[in-house]
Amino acid sequence: MEDILTNINEVAVHKFGAKYAEIRAQKLYKTMLTLKEGRVEAAKQGIEDGVALRVLVNGAWGFASVGSLNPETLKSAVSEACKMAKTASSRLKTPIKLAKSKTVKDRVRIKPRKNPSKISIEDKISTALSLNKAALGYDKRVRSCTIDYLDVAGSSYFVNTEGTRIEQDKLYVWSRTNVVAASQGVFTFSREEIGSTAGYELFDVKPPEIVGKTVAKRAVRQLEAKSPKGGKSPVVLGPKVVGVFVHEAFGHLAEADLALSGGVLMNNLGKKIGSDLVTFYDDGTIEGAFGSFKYDDEGVQTKRTLLIKDGVVIGLMHSRETAQKFGVEPTGNARAEDFRAEPIIRMRNTFMAPRDHSLEELVEGVRSGYYLKNFRGGQANLDGTFQVGIQEAYEITNGEIGNPVRNASISGSTLETLLKVDAVGKDFELSSGRCGKGQTAFIGDGGPHIRVNEVIVGGNA
Amino acid sequence: MVMLDKDQMLHLAEKTVNIALKKGAAEAEAYVYEGQAANVGIERGQIAKSNRIIDRGLGVRIAVNKAVGFAYTNILKQQDAVEEAILKSLGAARASKSDPDWNGFPEKKPYGDAEKNYDRKILKIHSEDLVEFASRMLDAAVNVNKRVFPIEGGAGAAYLSSAVANSNGIVAFDRGTIMECSLATVAKEKNRVTPVCFEFGAERAYTVDPDWIGKEAARLAVSALKTKRIKTETTKLILTPFALQGLLHFTLINAVKADNVQRNQSRFKGRIGEKVASEHVSIYDDGLFPGGLRTWAFDGEGVPQQKTALIEKGVLRSFLYDNYAAKKEGLESTGNASRAGYLSTPNIEATNFHITIGNKTPDELVSEVDDGLLIYYLQGAHSSNPVSGDFSVVATPAWKIRKGEIAYATRGVMLAGNIFEALKNVSVVANNERKMGQLIAPWVLVENVRVIGK
Repeated sequence: MEDILTNINEVAVHKFGAKYAEIRAQKLYKTMLTLKEGRVEAAKQGIEDGVALRVLVNGAWGFASVGSLNPETLKSAVSEACKMAKTASSRLKTPIKLAKSKTVKDRVRIKPRKNPSKISIEDKISTALSLNKAALGYDKRVRSCTIDYLDVAGSSYFVNTEGTRIEQDKLYVWSRTNVVAASQGVFTFSREEIGSTAGYELFDVKPPEIVGKTVAKRAVRQLEAKSPKGGKSPVVLGPKVVGVFVHEAFGHLAEADLALSGGVLMNNLGKKIGSDLVTFYDDGTIEGAFGSFKYDDEGVQTKRTLLIKDGVVIGLMHSRETAQKFGVEPTGNARAEDFRAEPIIRMRNTFMAPRDHSLEELVEGVRSGYYLKNFRGGQANLDGTFQVGIQEAYEITNGEIGNPVRNASISGSTLETLLKVDAVGKDFELSSGRCGKGQTAFIGDGGPHIRVNEVIVGGNA
Repeated sequence: MVMLDKDQMLHLAEKTVNIALKKGAAEAEAYVYEGQAANVGIERGQIAKSNRIIDRGLGVRIAVNKAVGFAYTNILKQQDAVEEAILKSLGAARASKSDPDWNGFPEKKPYGDAEKNYDRKILKIHSEDLVEFASRMLDAAVNVNKRVFPIEGGAGAAYLSSAVANSNGIVAFDRGTIMECSLATVAKEKNRVTPVCFEFGAERAYTVDPDWIGKEAARLAVSALKTKRIKTETTKLILTPFALQGLLHFTLINAVKADNVQRNQSRFKGRIGEKVASEHVSIYDDGLFPGGLRTWAFDGEGVPQQKTALIEKGVLRSFLYDNYAAKKEGLESTGNASRAGYLSTPNIEATNFHITIGNKTPDELVSEVDDGLLIYYLQGAHSSNPVSGDFSVVATPAWKIRKGEIAYATRGVMLAGNIFEALKNVSVVANNERKMGQLIAPWVLVENVRVIGK
């Protein structure tokens, strides 16, 4: 396999004038399930072979993707990629260059305790059924429950013209539970995703019975909730919301491609933009975490990247292309969803470092505000406007957590909000999620509980 | 590059169904998909990349004892890989559970005319042409104003085809083309940068105008440079298709899907014939809309696509069905089974979700607003409550309307409300519809929405 790929790269250089060429090949097996109220909609299995070729010709990228490992097909694809790159380069002002990257020869094996490929579909269905039973059986007001399950296993190969050759196992186990509760014309919705790169033991760490019940309980609790009041408010954020806040309000802005596009961090490198309590990392090395891997899709080894320390912006997340522009080392953040897509800068496991407060202490300091415990999506903008949708929240009155509120979201400007983080908890939780940036990436995010003394809460009361 | 032709695709689909039946499937369905695309990409002010993607594969759905299995493969050239997919699908069906509501695959029916969904000229677009389109967009944008920075975008051409065969005798093939140009911009002045502004054109025919896209993306960004804060209030909104697209996809469109209705997760359950929106609102799902981005002769199960009335003058008329949900109620599918290429089983999805136009021009619409906001881009529409329809999102940038004129831009405004309430508060619909993904819609004026300023 690797020899074929090396060959194709040589064709790119010698026959079509590429300065650099790389090939990623994948052989993946997937199992997917969708259950609705315990009815298995379909048990699904997939086989995907594919190759992505990327070349630099005259300083412009050419990329081709084909669902075949056939050498003739690959030769024609590489010729196409080089021609496209050459054409694209005709209007180029600043040629693309790549930062140096260590040449690697490695074979990365994942040894899961429970390999999803060795577990029967029947067993996977029965795990999903336990999730369903725990959710639907929790309360008769739970009306529906949708469970999606996915596992991915296989290997990927990376070969470039600089001599790097990597074979790397891929392994993901993921599930999502959606629950709808209804009573007297009120509908509530609750969702939980769990994921792992360790193996099917995910369901030992997060037993289906407990996950199902948690999701159902949240939906039922929301039935009695009321709308929050819109406007500025102090908030205490739970670790799941902190994770999304770090990801949306800061993480995307710390992706070097977005910084170069005019994102607000560009003018703030090395500057203090947050309170002393703000320290964020993006870390691809956490064993078993959903956003972890050893090498990225440019063959760069992953690492733990310090983004902001005690409020001062330290670093960004890079591909080889952006690292060259900034004159720094690539950080191993170039990821591609699969062979159909080009690698772009993506987060891995992004989190806030804990400090020393208990939840009680954080809440005590709030006279009137909200405790935002769990999220439902979020989105960032280059100018630093962030939004995080909230699926579980409570009022805080005189330092005590009180009644539930529903369908809130929070927003603000990153540069203002990070300065308003005024207390950080000592607990820590990392969650699994998926991030969309044209392509989908499996990521982790998290942190401790924190208190922010002002965000805008979107509510219609 | 070479495409699979009609006969090759149909042959593969039929052969797959036959093998599946021989291997023990009670019923079988094969879906063959091919997508070929070429794109030239803009990154940070210049054309810096290009790509060519060929994706083809086969999805096999099999029922055994009313239990359904599915498998796909993208290795089509090897007979053994195709057989492996069939066996995996069969194995999955056998491992799965019987579903008493399973009533088989659809029957053969005649197809309507999917007009203007294919243009040969798009197939002849070369990478040089794409570079030309992208350059024109860039030039047009920067010519509007030097402070405009095109951050991302591109020009692309694609060919898509699919073939379906099933054990009830459906054998069908369709193909289409899409051409798309898009540009995202910001405007920069000193240390300030605007939120991202975006324009695009996507058509089934060779009719996209790159110059207009570049100019418009730039105009929007420049107009968002100077912003003023607004106060928290209940006000009027003009929602453009950009705003409607996200909001409706994550709320209203869920509510008209028959499976959600059957599963007690739609607010429209049991309300056919009732008034659910203002009389100005009429919405059709039109799978045959000439030149629609989701216009095809048949859906992901080989059922004819059609025009279905959803809401007429505010009255709820019907829901969207695939074959499974329809048979469950003894009805016929409305041709709304959608697939992610060969990778997925069908799911109910709108085709072209068409909000009927009114007779006011957009200018007239603005001129009638004494105080309100013009909303383009929303952040966080996907975090709306998909069942209750509650949304709490950020509009950035948005434009303040005063005394019938667009007065100034504002940023970071939050909108909080409920889509089902908003439908009842639609007071005017403009006559300027455009296509945007699954949506075809004009500007819509909604009264009484809570807006949270700074």
